[in-house]
Amino acid sequence: MTEIIAKNLSLTKDSATLLQGASFTLKPRQLIALLGPNGAGKTSLIRTTLGLEKRSSGTVSLGGTDSEALSPMERARRVAYLPQQRPLAWPNSVRDVVALGRFAYGAAPGRLNPRDAQAVNTALELCDLTDLTNRHTDTLSGGEVARVHCARAFAAEAPLLIADEPVAALDPRQQFRIMDIIQAYVDRGGGALVVLHDIPLAAKYASHLIWMQDGRIAAEGPPEETLTVQRMADIYGVRAHIDGRKVEIEGAI
Amino acid sequence: MTRTSWLVPALLIASVLALFGACLLGSTPMSPARVLSAFVGGADAADRLVIWQIRLPRALAAYLVGAALGISGAALQGLLRNPLAEPGVLGVSASASLAATFSLYYGLAAASPWILPMAAIFGALIATSLIAVAAIRTQSVVTLILIGVGLSSFAGAAMSLLMNLAPNPFSLSDMINWMLGSVANRSFKEIGFAFPFILVGSAILMMSRRGLSALTLGEEAASGVGLDLRRQRILTVLGAGLATGGSVALGGAIGFVGIVAPHIIRPFVGHDPARSLIPSAMLAGLILVLADIGVRILPSSNELKLGVVAALIGAPAFVWIAMRRRAIND
Repeated sequence: MTEIIAKNLSLTKDSATLLQGASFTLKPRQLIALLGPNGAGKTSLIRTTLGLEKRSSGTVSLGGTDSEALSPMERARRVAYLPQQRPLAWPNSVRDVVALGRFAYGAAPGRLNPRDAQAVNTALELCDLTDLTNRHTDTLSGGEVARVHCARAFAAEAPLLIADEPVAALDPRQQFRIMDIIQAYVDRGGGALVVLHDIPLAAKYASHLIWMQDGRIAAEGPPEETLTVQRMADIYGVRAHIDGRKVEIEGAI
Repeated sequence: MTRTSWLVPALLIASVLALFGACLLGSTPMSPARVLSAFVGGADAADRLVIWQIRLPRALAAYLVGAALGISGAALQGLLRNPLAEPGVLGVSASASLAATFSLYYGLAAASPWILPMAAIFGALIATSLIAVAAIRTQSVVTLILIGVGLSSFAGAAMSLLMNLAPNPFSLSDMINWMLGSVANRSFKEIGFAFPFILVGSAILMMSRRGLSALTLGEEAASGVGLDLRRQRILTVLGAGLATGGSVALGGAIGFVGIVAPHIIRPFVGHDPARSLIPSAMLAGLILVLADIGVRILPSSNELKLGVVAALIGAPAFVWIAMRRRAIND
């Protein structure tokens, strides 16, 4: 069973503390929403957890191995990562971009063995892209591109997924589509850590919430326990009306 | 047949035809029958001399120089994720020529025939490393190209300085040969000293080409799918440096062919940098062989430089590609 166990993570860069004493666990069948205002340290937490950023202190076990000791390929086979910035340098076909998700298995666009090809086809189906496989990415809408990135992540068939703002700049319908795709992945046994800025969306889908502020994890737990009027005020500085998992943000304090 | 499956065979046939054509044409045109018999050791001695000592080495040198620049251009474009990257534009070729001329005019090259290509490679590696280091700090390709402009200007100025200071006689025409590029009067011996470097550089680029595809996703996501970024940077810089250095040692600094060839190839290979390497090399070689035929048969009192013809075709193409780019990709 692959899981991430991060303990006491700290990250200091140029004497700025970006992350301090952060601990969390990501297990299969969990959908964790990582919340917090801009600059709270969400991306730092993700990058430090993955070993892309060298941590100042703490430990991360990624499926039983220290994440900084894993080779990039071994890491990619354990956790699929969807970064915040998702530029596509060339107008490749949708299938070729999704095929890059198989990089860690030695595959490349145009050079997929049957196993790779099957994973790519499955990922294309899961993300509802079967009609677009031969389209070039520069002809797609924002929602379609977001689904291509999801499919690329799923093609790796990694047991865990970390996605940094996968629904940013999408219209509400596309946001739900992406979250449904991630939810289905979790239902199949995956574990997902997703950075979200849309609290109602997070409350609807997440099994756990991690609230971050000033480089620390301020609170952690199921939405029913941690989503409170007081917390919305503390973390985001907003007045909110909360009823179970339903959130209505009324305005800034 | 898919679009890619005929591409390499077609380029191969065109390349062979161009190389053969380069043997036919010249100040004294020869018939195909005469060229063919000279190839297999028939015909008279004068014909064999013209083919084996003059025309064939020159054509092969043009092809090799082009191929090295084409594969380096395609690889650098993949690494920097920009269609405007190329050894000439990034100042790599100019730096290589500077180092080569330095070794030549300070007498270092006299020690061993390997010194000249190695000096050119040294110059190329310094420039590619600089560009790669700068690319870590900035995502803006405009910055990288400006660094290239700076490197080229510096190399030009330093070469003028060399011209004034060098102990060995150094003529303006020598400098123009290095800065504009030419494959006139190349022999198989000179090809032999540059070819190993071009071959090894190209092999390194081919070996690491899969990472260039991954970089399509940007550096962050490329590491996410399992790419070792540091290793990829080193290998691409090393491969492009070796190949470009070898090509400069053979033909001087010839610009723009490394932009034009990959640009034409890209749509045929699904815009995949990895799959563009070999066809780009072949097309760039083909372009330079054709350009060199043009150089030779154009009726001019002083022979035109190959690099001049390459720039006359390539520079407008560069401007056109640059103008068509959307600002967001900057």
